[in-house]
Amino acid sequence: MDLSQPIEENYANPKTCFFHVFFKASALAFYILSALFADSFVIIFVITVVLSALDFWVVKNVSGRILVGLRWWNEINDQGESTWKFECLDQESLALINPKDSWLFWWTLYLNAACWTILGIFSLVRFQADYVLVVGVCLSLGIANIIGFTKCRKDAKKKIQAFATQTIASRVSSTIQSAFSIV
Amino acid sequence: MSNSHSDTIPLHASSQSDIDEIENLINSSVQSGPATVLPARPPSPPRASIPVSSSPFIQSHIPPPPLSSSSSNQKVPSVPSAPPPPPPVGNSSSIVATGFGPPPNTLTEPVWDTVKRDLSRIVSNLKLVVFPNPYREDPGKALRDWDLWGPFFFIVFLGLTLSWSASVKKSEVFAVAFALLAAGAVILTLNVLLLGGHIIFFQSLSLLGYCLFPLDIGALICMLKDNVIVKVIVVCVTLAWSSWAAYPFMSSAVNPRRKALALYPVFLMYVSVGFLIIAID
Repeated sequence: MDLSQPIEENYANPKTCFFHVFFKASALAFYILSALFADSFVIIFVITVVLSALDFWVVKNVSGRILVGLRWWNEINDQGESTWKFECLDQESLALINPKDSWLFWWTLYLNAACWTILGIFSLVRFQADYVLVVGVCLSLGIANIIGFTKCRKDAKKKIQAFATQTIASRVSSTIQSAFSIV
Repeated sequence: MSNSHSDTIPLHASSQSDIDEIENLINSSVQSGPATVLPARPPSPPRASIPVSSSPFIQSHIPPPPLSSSSSNQKVPSVPSAPPPPPPVGNSSSIVATGFGPPPNTLTEPVWDTVKRDLSRIVSNLKLVVFPNPYREDPGKALRDWDLWGPFFFIVFLGLTLSWSASVKKSEVFAVAFALLAAGAVILTLNVLLLGGHIIFFQSLSLLGYCLFPLDIGALICMLKDNVIVKVIVVCVTLAWSSWAAYPFMSSAVNPRRKALALYPVFLMYVSVGFLIIAID
């Protein structure tokens, strides 16, 4: 990022934003318009679930990193216990993140989950178990991402606070030291 | 960091010492920083390791991402001079990475690296679970790097193959196969947990999914060859292979007296999938 330029008011990463929205929107659109596309449930299922899975991967690995600077994953340590690991950019880079990017990121995540929930309610009401299955898979993928990134963001805030207090403490001590050395 | 001094304009003595102080402060905070911010996941042993930091930041084809902390301390001293072009930043970050302890985190790696890393993980997990290898003695360690992409592909592939082989009711076959396998994996994992076994939920789901690979091959062969006897033989062979693959992981997770209770449902599920493969016409 070039420091001499003012911070852009538009999206800083248009390609990433596009892909972030594209897979979600196409999964939803394909599911809703499926009556026009194909008679076979198998094709609807496979394509919708594959698009949802691709979206999950893109959000978790690409747009989460680039748009909001967060990343989460699960690791199994040597004792055989599973731990959730969170990673975030440091303070200076976080301040450089475009607010429009992060607004788009979070709101499309929530909107996606809400849409799938509504579609799920429709399928339940019509007693279509097959379609409830599709909606269930897509919804669980969306919710997994929401939970992961929310936890990651809380963790990042905690770390930043700890880091800030530590930096302030070290700065205060160094200025005190320099004050004494001058005197 | 001594190479940065040649870039800066010679300053007044007191301001130079101030800059030194700021540099030291940032260096010390950055050094302690990685201790609080978690380092990247280290490459796990069984993999033919694709190092996380393989390509320096200059090769990224996405718009330049926010730089990580290791390269930001290069930016501060050179601000009086022109903003650094990418190559020095890339070089310094790789120098810093090898000089300091923690590797650069995975937040700023190019997208293609992530894809390659995930694909190689799927392949290595498959090899660990399904094929004979020396790590089977310590099953908990073997599937340390679990992932759900492999199982997802295998379940969908099995459902598609079964659905393709069916002449009628294709949709129901697919839905039944998918739901059976997914719900079956969850229930089997719960079974082990309720028997007092020590297994991690996602690790076990991942394992049961990977063990479907032989049945996938069996279903593919049965789809191509329609003879009943061939089908029975192929299904028996692949069924035995799947059960053999799942055995060490499941049995090591529970109390030895309850091994059969944990293994029998797994075997039952694979037998039912085998019947599904044979019975489809």
